[in-house]
Amino acid sequence: MEASQVAFLSAIGNHFLVGISRAMILFVVSAGLSFILGVLRVPNLAHGSLYMIGAFVAHGLTTFFGGGSIGFWFALLLSPLVVALISLVAERALFCHLYEREHLMLLLFTFALMLILGDLVKIFWGADYRSVTAPKLLQGSVTVFSSPIPKYNLFLLGMGPVIAVALYLFSNKTRIGKIARAAAADREMVSAIGINVSWVFAFAFILGCSLAGLGGALVSPTVSVTLGMDHDIIIETFLIVTIGGLGNMWGAMVGSLIFGLTQSFGVLFLPQFAIVFPYIAVVIVLIWKPRGMLKAVW
Amino acid sequence: MLRVENAQKDFDGFKAVNGASLSVEKGEIVAVIGPNGAGKTTLFNLITGQLKPNGGTITFLGEDITSMPSHRICKKGIARSFQIANIFHRLSVFRNVQVSVLSQKNRNLNLFLSSDSFFVKETQSILKNAGLADKHQEIAGSLSHGDRRLLEIAIALGNEPRLLILDEPTAGMSPEETATTISLIKRLAETRGLTILFCEHDMDVVFGVSHRIMVMEQGRTLVQGKPDEVKNNLEVQRAYLGTE
Amino acid sequence: MRAIDFQKGRTPIFNSILLAFLILAPAVLPAFYIYIFSVIFVTAILAMSLNLVVGHGGLYQFHHGVFYGIGAYTLALILTKTDLPPWVGFIAGPVCAALAGWLIGLFCVRLSRLYFGMLQISLGSLIWAVTFRWYALTGGDDGIHGIELPGILSGITRSYYVILIVLSVCLIALYRIYKSPFGITLRAIRDNPERCAAVGINVRRHQLLAIVIATFFAGVAGVFFVVVERSVFPDLMFWVLSLEIMIMCLLGGWFTFSGPILGAAIMVSLRTFAGVYTEYWTLILGVILILLIFFLPEGVMGFIALKLKRRELLLEAKKDI
Repeated sequence: MEASQVAFLSAIGNHFLVGISRAMILFVVSAGLSFILGVLRVPNLAHGSLYMIGAFVAHGLTTFFGGGSIGFWFALLLSPLVVALISLVAERALFCHLYEREHLMLLLFTFALMLILGDLVKIFWGADYRSVTAPKLLQGSVTVFSSPIPKYNLFLLGMGPVIAVALYLFSNKTRIGKIARAAAADREMVSAIGINVSWVFAFAFILGCSLAGLGGALVSPTVSVTLGMDHDIIIETFLIVTIGGLGNMWGAMVGSLIFGLTQSFGVLFLPQFAIVFPYIAVVIVLIWKPRGMLKAVW
Repeated sequence: MLRVENAQKDFDGFKAVNGASLSVEKGEIVAVIGPNGAGKTTLFNLITGQLKPNGGTITFLGEDITSMPSHRICKKGIARSFQIANIFHRLSVFRNVQVSVLSQKNRNLNLFLSSDSFFVKETQSILKNAGLADKHQEIAGSLSHGDRRLLEIAIALGNEPRLLILDEPTAGMSPEETATTISLIKRLAETRGLTILFCEHDMDVVFGVSHRIMVMEQGRTLVQGKPDEVKNNLEVQRAYLGTE
Repeated sequence: MRAIDFQKGRTPIFNSILLAFLILAPAVLPAFYIYIFSVIFVTAILAMSLNLVVGHGGLYQFHHGVFYGIGAYTLALILTKTDLPPWVGFIAGPVCAALAGWLIGLFCVRLSRLYFGMLQISLGSLIWAVTFRWYALTGGDDGIHGIELPGILSGITRSYYVILIVLSVCLIALYRIYKSPFGITLRAIRDNPERCAAVGINVRRHQLLAIVIATFFAGVAGVFFVVVERSVFPDLMFWVLSLEIMIMCLLGGWFTFSGPILGAAIMVSLRTFAGVYTEYWTLILGVILILLIFFLPEGVMGFIALKLKRRELLLEAKKDI
């Protein structure tokens, strides 16, 4: 093979891996969105803001621990918890009173939450760009396909499936997970057997939101943490969930892979229009299968 | 006029309608009875196109209407009321009926003329017929249960149907309201020569108005015949049919 | 709903006074206010057009801003990149918006409500993404600025009057549609699509026509946005703007005819004056939205209508129908 061909193939391999590792972050966030959609049947527009908060909290914690490795691992653990706490407050104080209302109202509520959280982040953290350093273990890169891949991306490649399996086990093997799944499919039935649907909803909302927080913490070493992160991710995860099939976790995985890979290869082939490629993929999928690749839960 | 042959409908393996057959001739009042879950409402939904059958054929006036979308079936001359009052709850009673009159006359795509100049008389006379004339200004959602059911029928009448299908027209009504509804049904059949197909739990209503009765059980047709025949048959099968 | 009909009660008097004030406004008010009024007029057309499909049509039109943007960009491109006479742009803007509405609607109306909304966001975001990146044509994220307008629209007072006339024409047209058999059928579909199909209405065709009409008027609003601002930028097509328009409809009252005008007026004024005092406008917007959801779900106009219902019902009883 000629050198140029080798370079091309290694570039493809490289973008493939980068695309998948990006897809893993999208998956974590969109799985949360999808979970909420499945159970509450509401697209949570505040999801992106919670993701952003997750990233900011991760930055705060790593700086608090002096930028060392420990800080980052703590952040990975605590960011989802902080976000869960925020969503718990929002849910119990306000959101839970709306479950009987029209759907559009629920959607608009999450929009209001998004607007408020976005400005609160601005008030607390300001509009600066921040960066989070990955822990020592994950710094640097290894050579795959004769081109360097950051170790952190490989870490993400590992984390994605782990979280997917954990979520799968959770929703299929635990009682509360099963109840949530049942509530997604048929809420009347669940309330008929004497389960407080309101708490199931609260639980689903908080779990979904904390996944957004986790996604934010995971992404923080790879991007600059700043305002506006919320707008980009929310529309991306929205599309992912739509093409995957509403409420279907594996659909979120499929959608994320489509999205991550088209984006990554878009950068390779036509950088200026890189952001357009995933949208085109989405449009093709939706015209071909308007209800998404996999079966929606309801 | 209407002929249903061997209609089938599966819901995820549950056979809600499993080989029901039915025929209705012009000018008849036909009742469909059977225990809860016998598939009466599903059968009606198949006829009027809310659901698509998995098998069987439905013909109306010699034309195959199986699996036609419901708005086209309606244009063929079949109108229906629903079991749960299915009205336009934010519109006034008058508008509720006017909508179906407009649809019947193919005027509902008219964009620039005021609705107040369309079919006011026709709508008013239907409302008068249904005994809702003095309530025409009220918002439909604020009507009493009985009035909503009457409005249901009035909306269906706006289509000037040849065949009117009523799904439990007197369910949840007080005895007086039931009496009003029955006399309305009878009057419609007589004065307008309307063919009516309905299902009902109240046996007094069924035997009081219908010319023929079809008994359904577990999705299939059990018996079809004159009220007397069915009654005799019923006596025999009372134990089998339970409360019906 | 019926309580705020134009021809009833005191509304004709109120409307005449309002119109007289708006006609005289440029003579007495500073230019800044005239500019704000123009913005309100344009936004009002936009909000009214959205409400036709959301409030009266019950459709989840989540990405209406795209059609506004298409109208604006079409005019901007024709004025800056071609030698065509300007009036072509003023016609092409709404027509292109309606065409896009038809095309996107064609895919969306097949789907149930939430999927409808999500698909529309997807398709709309595609248009946004292309606009955002196509520097050669659209100027990318910078947009196009300093657009030259034909003489009749130069000067803030002239454009103010033109937009006032356009607003009036749009209002009359939308009001006629609202009262027409089509409008009534549309509201019936909102209340109960299944029942509508059962009375012989082709629900999807109706919804599609409603979308085409609404996107046409969104295009009109977009065209006159260019007249007011003399610039276009991709934010016009960003989904956040689409949801803001929805808030205007909610604020004014979904189920009323004139609510969205009020909603647009309140929102534009608030944004303008809040902007003077604070940089946290979205925080305020979020709080307003939550208050609306909890305390005023029928909007300001809807609330007034409910309060006046008694009186209006008495009035209606005297009428013939």
